Amino acid sequence: MVVSGTSPQEREFRSWLLERLGQYLRRSVEEIDTGVPFAEYGLDSVAALSLFGDIEDDFGLYLEPTVAWDYPTVDSLARHLAAECVRRVTGPLGEER
Amino acid sequence: MVTALPPRTAAAPTTVPVTGLRHRSWALAARFDRELGDPCDEATVFSYEHAIRLDRTETFPDEICAALNTWGLAHYYVPAAYGGALDDFQDLQMLIRTAARRDLTTTIAHGKTFLGSLPVWVGADAATAARLGGLVRAGARVSLGLTERTHGSDIMAGELTAEPQGRGYRLNGEKWLINNATRGRLITLLARTSPAGGPRGFSALLVDKDDLPAQAWQCLPKVHTHGVRGADISGITLHDALVGPQTLIGTEGSGAELMMKSLQVSRALCPSLSLGAADQALRLAVRFSRGRELYGRHLADLPLTRRTLAEGFADLLLCEAVSTVAVRSIHALPSELSVTAAAVKYLVPSLVDGVIDRLGSLLGARSVLGQQYAHGMYQKIARDHRIVGIFDGNSLVNQYALVSQFRSLARAYLGPDDHRPGLAMLFDLERTLPRFAAEGLALVSRYGSSILGTLPGSVARLSAMADRAPALAGAARRAQQLGDAASELHRRMRRVAPTVADASAECFTEARRYALCLAGAACLGLWLHSNEAAEAECSSGELWRDGLWLHASLRRILARLGMQDGQDGQDAAADDGVFDELYERLVAHYQQGFLFSLLPCPIAEGPPSC
Repeated sequence: MVVSGTSPQEREFRSWLLERLGQYLRRSVEEIDTGVPFAEYGLDSVAALSLFGDIEDDFGLYLEPTVAWDYPTVDSLARHLAAECVRRVTGPLGEER
Repeated sequence: MVTALPPRTAAAPTTVPVTGLRHRSWALAARFDRELGDPCDEATVFSYEHAIRLDRTETFPDEICAALNTWGLAHYYVPAAYGGALDDFQDLQMLIRTAARRDLTTTIAHGKTFLGSLPVWVGADAATAARLGGLVRAGARVSLGLTERTHGSDIMAGELTAEPQGRGYRLNGEKWLINNATRGRLITLLARTSPAGGPRGFSALLVDKDDLPAQAWQCLPKVHTHGVRGADISGITLHDALVGPQTLIGTEGSGAELMMKSLQVSRALCPSLSLGAADQALRLAVRFSRGRELYGRHLADLPLTRRTLAEGFADLLLCEAVSTVAVRSIHALPSELSVTAAAVKYLVPSLVDGVIDRLGSLLGARSVLGQQYAHGMYQKIARDHRIVGIFDGNSLVNQYALVSQFRSLARAYLGPDDHRPGLAMLFDLERTLPRFAAEGLALVSRYGSSILGTLPGSVARLSAMADRAPALAGAARRAQQLGDAASELHRRMRRVAPTVADASAECFTEARRYALCLAGAACLGLWLHSNEAAEAECSSGELWRDGLWLHASLRRILARLGMQDGQDGQDAAADDGVFDELYERLVAHYQQGFLFSLLPCPIAEGPPSC
């Protein structure tokens, strides 16, 4: 399910998140709706915190542990991660390189 | 009066010459205990007999709580920045432990105000915190409203709502099984501020009943409980209660995060209750075994009795060591408290329940009689202590907190260790701790457990010391075995399938082993960094000499990790010698009237008279 208007990076994060959630929840990727909060699939709030370690491991992005609380769906978290990547490339104040 | 406790000895020594490691928190506890008066004297307000009498009639300990307020205990619930006396959590740890060795019910009833206030210290603005600080110091009770009738540990399922109303909120709903819900003037609530809920759907509110009209709230009847019978375990219902914007602690939606961080601090302190209960149980068991005759000998003359008592002492000391490291972590390693506090809050109450159980078998029938031995104190300790493993996050909640971090814990332990902070500050009891900074708390630990991370280095260091001091060889071999067990455990943890939302039963067993390994690492760290100063001390120094308490603690941990007795002849013989020596130290502490502790702390009743 590719949403129009998303960047390639956002799509990469989306598929990574889907695969990771599939492992966590022992579900097939097709069963997970990217607009539905993780909690509705049984990912409790404590378990959701561990996503931040996975993100750091796989992408080198160090975020707040609560990132999956603040962006509680695949869509919103993928968008946030992509935006974080852009922000880190362009610098803390958002100025162009 | 065959059932009475030993009467107060004439001119009980209140000052004992102490040299070497003198810790201010242990000294504070000794003064607190002395000023509360002899607990064996029935004329003392906070006496053993009084606490038992209140328990029998399920009566709230009003008079004792008033005496604790007169002493100023509530000042230690308030950080110094907000006008209180709390600048080192070790002080609070030792005060709670000291009160708990007299009576758990009273300590839980009084100490609840600290728990209720903690979210304010962690997350509120300075003005709110200072205002609450003034109320607490003046004796106001504060309770913590997390759980509901149909939602216990799952706090994010709570249904009590706070709807926006003007600039404040309209509260509706119920909190149940709340300690001091009825007697408390203030209550810190976790309320749903977003109908959808979720981890950002809750906020923490500090509600003052005095600000509400009578029809807006109603207390629920006291619940009759198996233990802590005198405590006010009740609930509260709110009906369209209107509260102002100043009741919000922190920001809207931050309630779950704030509660989880606050609970890290309180879970590091909860073991203090267990340490007090274990002291009382052990003191009764030693007393009984020395007075009881059978087959023409004293019970204490039987090798099995001495070993059981010495093992109980070792368990208490290992619990004290890991609890002390956890409490020091509040200041020195807050970023890892999600791991450290979960480990001790799970492990210590569970081990102490076991100690109370095993020592109870020595007392036999007297461990369950209501009045016939020492006023029936033993059965009350056993009943009261059961709750410590349940409240403030039960065993499963804390084990799960560890399981959910298994992969990162394993990664940090097995990976390179160059990012780990130095922990000399944490382990050296002579070092002054930095000020507590709530901003340092984190919901999960980025670098796993630095405390466990010190284990390989500590094992090597002890081994090197043993090369020069053969008396340490036994402890060093046990440390090596623990190091091996910890490596194997982390390799298994790394292989745990990433199904955190559906943790297996085996994961919970591994969490127990993890907590045991962390306790062993804490014992080693504490001994290695503090033994020189502690050994020089005249009364407790012998506990530290030649790694005595360390060796015994490691042996107890390894036994729980599955190491069988008699597996290795030479080491088993060394262990026997260690427990024989530890028994002598236990009796010395008992006879001299000292707290059963790693550091010297005279108790108010002084030496026993029987």
